[in-house]
Amino acid sequence: MTIAPPPVAETTRNVAIAGNPNCGKSTIFNALTGLRQKVGNYPGVTVERKMGRFFGSHGEPMTLLDLPGSYSLQVRSPDEAVARDVLLGRRADTPRPDVVIAVVDASSLERSLYLVAQMLDLQIPTIVALNMVDVAERRGIIINLPALEEELGVPVVPMVATKSLGMVELKQAVSRQLLAAPKRLLPIPEPIRAEAESIAGELKVSPEVAFAEALLLLTLHDQALGDLAENNPAVVESVLAAQARLRALEIEPLSALVEARYEWIHEVCSRVVHKPGESGLTISDRMDMILTHRVWGWVSFLGAMTLMFVCIFTLAQIPMEWIDNGAKWLGQWVSTHMPESDLRSLIVDGAIPGVGGVVIFLPQILILFFFLGILEDSGYMARAAFMMDRVMSSVGLHGKSFIPLLSSFACAIPGIMATRTVENRNDRLATILVAPLMSCSARLPVYALMIAVLIPTASSFAKSGIMLSMYLVGIVAAFTMAWFFKKTLLKSDTPMLLLELPPYRRPSLRGIATRMVERAGIFLRRAGTVILALSILLWALATYPKPPAGATRAEAISQSYAGRMGHFIEPAIRPLGYDWKIGIGLVGSFAAREVFVGTMGIVYNIEGEVKDDTSSLRDTMRSERHPDGSLVYTPLVCISLMIFYVLAMQCISTVAVVRRETNSWRWPLFQIGYMTALAWLGAFAVFHVGHWIGFQ
Amino acid sequence: MNPLLDQLLVAFLILCAITFFVVRMLRKRGKPGCDAGCGCSATKLGTADKRR
Repeated sequence: MTIAPPPVAETTRNVAIAGNPNCGKSTIFNALTGLRQKVGNYPGVTVERKMGRFFGSHGEPMTLLDLPGSYSLQVRSPDEAVARDVLLGRRADTPRPDVVIAVVDASSLERSLYLVAQMLDLQIPTIVALNMVDVAERRGIIINLPALEEELGVPVVPMVATKSLGMVELKQAVSRQLLAAPKRLLPIPEPIRAEAESIAGELKVSPEVAFAEALLLLTLHDQALGDLAENNPAVVESVLAAQARLRALEIEPLSALVEARYEWIHEVCSRVVHKPGESGLTISDRMDMILTHRVWGWVSFLGAMTLMFVCIFTLAQIPMEWIDNGAKWLGQWVSTHMPESDLRSLIVDGAIPGVGGVVIFLPQILILFFFLGILEDSGYMARAAFMMDRVMSSVGLHGKSFIPLLSSFACAIPGIMATRTVENRNDRLATILVAPLMSCSARLPVYALMIAVLIPTASSFAKSGIMLSMYLVGIVAAFTMAWFFKKTLLKSDTPMLLLELPPYRRPSLRGIATRMVERAGIFLRRAGTVILALSILLWALATYPKPPAGATRAEAISQSYAGRMGHFIEPAIRPLGYDWKIGIGLVGSFAAREVFVGTMGIVYNIEGEVKDDTSSLRDTMRSERHPDGSLVYTPLVCISLMIFYVLAMQCISTVAVVRRETNSWRWPLFQIGYMTALAWLGAFAVFHVGHWIGFQ
Repeated sequence: MNPLLDQLLVAFLILCAITFFVVRMLRKRGKPGCDAGCGCSATKLGTADKRR
C-alpha cells in the first residue's frame, strides 16, 4: 500500500518564528524555507511580513512566518505591534499561528526569556530554538537542556543557525503530531490574576487568548486605553476600574508583572545556567574599547570608509575594462554586420551605450555591497549607530534613525522601510524626509563618470577622496535638513537611545556572496528592462524628428525632441553652468539617477563623437565646448553636477515608497520640492562661489 | 535594408518600450511594496507572497 503525499497547495500548519531582534530568526527562516533574505545583525532589521513554505520531517507542507523582532508584547514600535497582533490572532490578514518557534539567544538567555515568558501565556504550542549555543560555549556558559525543557514545559532545540546545526531537530519538533499548548507556569500576583480573569470573561475573543489579552489591557496606560474606548467602552471601563482597585492595594499592574516575570526568569536561570566568573573581558569587549572609543572609534570608522572607497576604485578596474571591451566589441560587430539604417543606429547609438554605460559600474556596486555586508554581518553597524547617537541627538534625531540612514547608502527604499522601528512619528517623518540625501548605489555611476571627467589621470586615492567627499556632503545635508525639520515642521522631544550591541561575529562569506549575486541579478535585470527601454526612448527622442538634408549631426540632435527639451530647461540650468545637453541628462534621469550616464552616452554617440565605450565618453565630455569655444565640463561644472545629484530626489521608486509609508501624497511631493530646490541651490552655490574664489 | 522594414522595426521597438512602462505602471497600481526594479532587498518578499 502506498500513502499519497498531501497536495502541494495544502498547508498542514501555520508556524511563526518570534524572538528578540538579532537572535537569528531570519537565518532560521532562510534555512527552513530556502528563500533568500537580507539578514542583518542590528536590532530592527525585520520590519516586513515575511512568509515562506517549508516541509516537515515527513514531507508535510507548512507555512512559515518570520515575525518582526520584539523584546516584549508591551509594544513600543509599529513592528513590535505586528508581532503582538499576529500572536494574539488580531490580524485579519494573517491566521493565528498553530506553532510558534521562539528563538532565544543562548548567550543571553536571561534577557531573551522575557518574551518567551509572555508567549507561554498565549496558549500556542511553542518550541524554543536555543540559538547561538556556540557563542555561549565559547563564553563558558553551560545550559542544562533537560532542566530548561522541564522549567519551561516546552521542547528546547539547541542550534547554531548560521551553520545549519539543529535544523533537522527543529523540523522534527515542529512536525510532531501532538504539540500541546504550554501550561501556565508563571507566578502572577493573585490580585492581578483575579482581575485579569474577570476582564477575560468580558472580552469577545477566543478563550485561548482572552487571559493574555486581559493581562495586556491591564498594563495599558490611560492614553492607550482612551484610544480603545471608542470601540469597547464597557471593557475599557472595567479595565480602568480594575487598575484603580489594584492601585488601592499599592499594585502597579505593569511593574508588578514585569517584576514577577523577571523573578521567575532569574529562578529558572539560576537552576539551568552555569556561568563562569564575570572577571574576564570578552573579545567583543576588548574590540569595543577601541572601536567605540571617542577618538580611535572615529579613526576606525573613517579608515573603514576610506578602505571601502579605495577598493571600489582599484579592484573594480579590471572587470570594468572587460565590460567596456565587451560593449565596444558588440557595437563594432553590429556596425560591421548590419547595413546603415535607423535600426542599426538604435542598437549601436542607443541600446548598447545606454545599457553598457550603466552595466560597466556593476563591479563597483558589488564591491560596495561586499563591504556593507561585512560591516553588517560582523556587528560593526550597531557600533556605528552607537557612535553616531551623539551626532544624531545634536540634530534632534533619535539614535535609531541612524540605522535607516545607514541602510540608505545601499538604497533609500529599505532605509525608508526601516524607519518603522522609530517610535516617534515626527522623528520617523524627519528620517524619511532626509534618507534619500544619503548617497545610494545608483549615484555611484554618476559620481564615477564625473570624477573620471574631472581628474582622469589622478591616483585612486584622489578619486576615492572626491567620492568620499560626496558621501560626506550627503551626510551633512541630511543632518542639517533633519535639524531644520525638527526645529520647524516636526517639533518633538527625542527619547533616549536603547541599543543592543551584539557580539562581534565572523561575517558569513557565503551569505554576503549570496546577497552580491542577488544584487547583481537585480542590477542586470534592471539594466535589461528599465534602462534598455529608457535607452530606446531616449534614442528616439534624440533622433526624431529627422533634420533637413545637409544638417550636421550636432544640428540634428539640437533640433530633436530631446534637444528641444534640453533647450527648454536650459534657462533654469544655465546659472549652474550646464548646457542643454546636460539638461537632456537631467530630464532623462528623473526616474532613476544612473540613467544620466546612459543618456550622456546616447547624446554624444548620436552626435557622432563617441566610439562605443565610456572611456571615450569621458574624453568626449572633457573636450566638449560651448559655442564660444569655452569648455563645458570645467572642474566647477563637474563638482556642481555631482552636488546636484547628491541633493536631488531623482528616483521614482523612492517617491512611491514614501507615499506608501506616509500614507499621503503630501510628504513625497514636499520631499521632491525641497530636494530639487536644495540641489539647484547647492549646485548654484558651488559654481558661483567657486568662480568668485577663482576656480574655473 | 528595406527603408520601410527599417522604419517598421524601429517603430515596433519604440512601441515595445512605451508598452513596457505603461504595463509596469498599471501592474504597480494598488499593490503594496516595490518590485524587482526598485533595487532594494525587500524584493523577495513579493516573491514569497506569490508562492503562498
